[in-house]
Amino acid sequence: MTQSPTAKSMTHGEAGLVLVFSLTAFFCLLAVAKAQDTAFAFHAALSSAASLWAVIAIVNRYFARPSSLPPQEIHGRPNYNMGPIKFAAVMSVIWGIAGFAVGVLIASQLAWPSLNLDLPWTSFGRLRPLHTSAVIFAFGGNVLIATSLYVVQKTCRARLAGDLAPWFVVIGYNFFILIAGTGYLLGVTQSKEYAEPEWYADLWLTIVWVVYLLVFLVTIIKRKEPHIFVANWFYLAFIVTIAVLHLGNNPALPVSVFGSKSYIAWGGVQDAMFQWWYGHNAVGFFLTAGFLAIMYYFIPKRAERPVYSYRLSIIHFWALIFLYIWAGPHHLHYTALPDWAQTLGMTFSIMLWMPSWGGMINGLMTLSGAWDKLRTDPVLRMLVVSVAFYGMSTFEGPMMSIKVVNSLSHYTDWTIGHVHSGALGWVGFVSFGALYCLIPWLWDRKGLYSLKLVNWHFWTATIGIVLYISAMWVSGILQGLMWRAYTSLGFLEYSFIETVEAMHPFYIIRAAGGALFLIGSLIMAYNLWMTVRAGEAEVQSPVALQPAE
Amino acid sequence: MKAILTVHNIASDLVTSVWTPIFVGIFIAIVTYALWPRNQAVFDEAAKMPLREE
Repeated sequence: MTQSPTAKSMTHGEAGLVLVFSLTAFFCLLAVAKAQDTAFAFHAALSSAASLWAVIAIVNRYFARPSSLPPQEIHGRPNYNMGPIKFAAVMSVIWGIAGFAVGVLIASQLAWPSLNLDLPWTSFGRLRPLHTSAVIFAFGGNVLIATSLYVVQKTCRARLAGDLAPWFVVIGYNFFILIAGTGYLLGVTQSKEYAEPEWYADLWLTIVWVVYLLVFLVTIIKRKEPHIFVANWFYLAFIVTIAVLHLGNNPALPVSVFGSKSYIAWGGVQDAMFQWWYGHNAVGFFLTAGFLAIMYYFIPKRAERPVYSYRLSIIHFWALIFLYIWAGPHHLHYTALPDWAQTLGMTFSIMLWMPSWGGMINGLMTLSGAWDKLRTDPVLRMLVVSVAFYGMSTFEGPMMSIKVVNSLSHYTDWTIGHVHSGALGWVGFVSFGALYCLIPWLWDRKGLYSLKLVNWHFWTATIGIVLYISAMWVSGILQGLMWRAYTSLGFLEYSFIETVEAMHPFYIIRAAGGALFLIGSLIMAYNLWMTVRAGEAEVQSPVALQPAE
Repeated sequence: MKAILTVHNIASDLVTSVWTPIFVGIFIAIVTYALWPRNQAVFDEAAKMPLREE
């Protein structure tokens, strides 16, 4: 925009969004009036209020800003856009604590069922998707959005594309979380695991996600660095694949455009196959590719060592891309799914072991020459232990996908243990490590408020994870063996309720482990808060120090 | 009608069997690119990217 400094006018984006949100506010108000169920009325009212707020926020922002938009570069250095990243980083901590807390609550409900309180909103069935979505999409999603928008700017040496677009992505995504989460509590769900949100929430997420993809892509396109760093490849794979999965798994027809209920386009085993094509690739591209991107940027940065083998990173990236998409059927062993499809899923899952370990080796070996830092830097230790957990759970996963093993492990707590060694150990720790790096960078602090508290977080959470996964291993295998035990006369040896009773002590241990993990995250939140509030500001030196940040 | 179906079958059989060698070919090309000795210098520089920025 080449405007004289005195003439100030709204950009097309600002004016367009004000118009769109004004119309949305109006139509959502209409939807409240015509709503077929109370949950839909509540969500339409929320959307109307949020749209109205967006209009006011955009107009206020317009009056507060100078006539020209922020420059792309200042004194030849990129003018990085950190505002939306700060927002997503803060939201990730808040959602993380909420999601872990609900996890502890539902773990306790399994040990002590009276904690369901006999109320529909607090029953396990509604809180369980609230927990999974809060930790995966709210906590993990905000960490991924924050780190991806940071890493893409830094490694492209370019300011984030768009003016309002990055804000639209971070706020729009969190609004999706709010709609999805409150929906679960009110009983609004399409009952597809990890894809529970109903049609209107899905449509909104589609819009947000396309804008996210555009912001990320256009930033890459206008990069100053000729080479696209490997972390950006992983982020891009994550964003593109999640878009494809989301669209593939959610073609539903609403019963009424003014009601929350919808029906999926296909049923039966086709629906099951689509669902687990989606479900397992959410693991592969949300919980793996995205967080591997974090690994490839934050471990070299924190260890001050280059990526161990860049060649390996290229090969294992493409191997992951080519193999992951076929692994889904291992969730449907011994079901109505054709046998060949089950075997195919198992075969690809076993092959996935190689690219997974390629990533693990690359992450761990990046420390070569800097191993001593593990003793002194608990943040780096957290990042490295996360990679170790990644290696462990990506060994366990292919093993569990083998049909004979699966016949014992499926439908038992072993699966829950496996998921949590990946989720708490890998995704959780790599996210905590990234947040411990990111928060001081974003707020220009010299370092964290307290490394000692990071150490406390590390050990509390590690003990929590060990309690959690070992309890679930024992309980899962015990459960599987009890289910398949026959007497000499060919009758089942145990009634189902006896197997449930046998789980009780392990459920208590699991809840205790989860509570330790939650306490660790509270320690982190306090530490990060104090870093922003009371941390020593980094001196802005006019002479740029090369590796300093 | 029958002829159309047959053409369709041949086409779909071809598509469903041809992508395997195509994907394997693409993957081999990627591995060759990654291991090509002359690309080593570029990759060594790229491996340091997180450390270079201001």
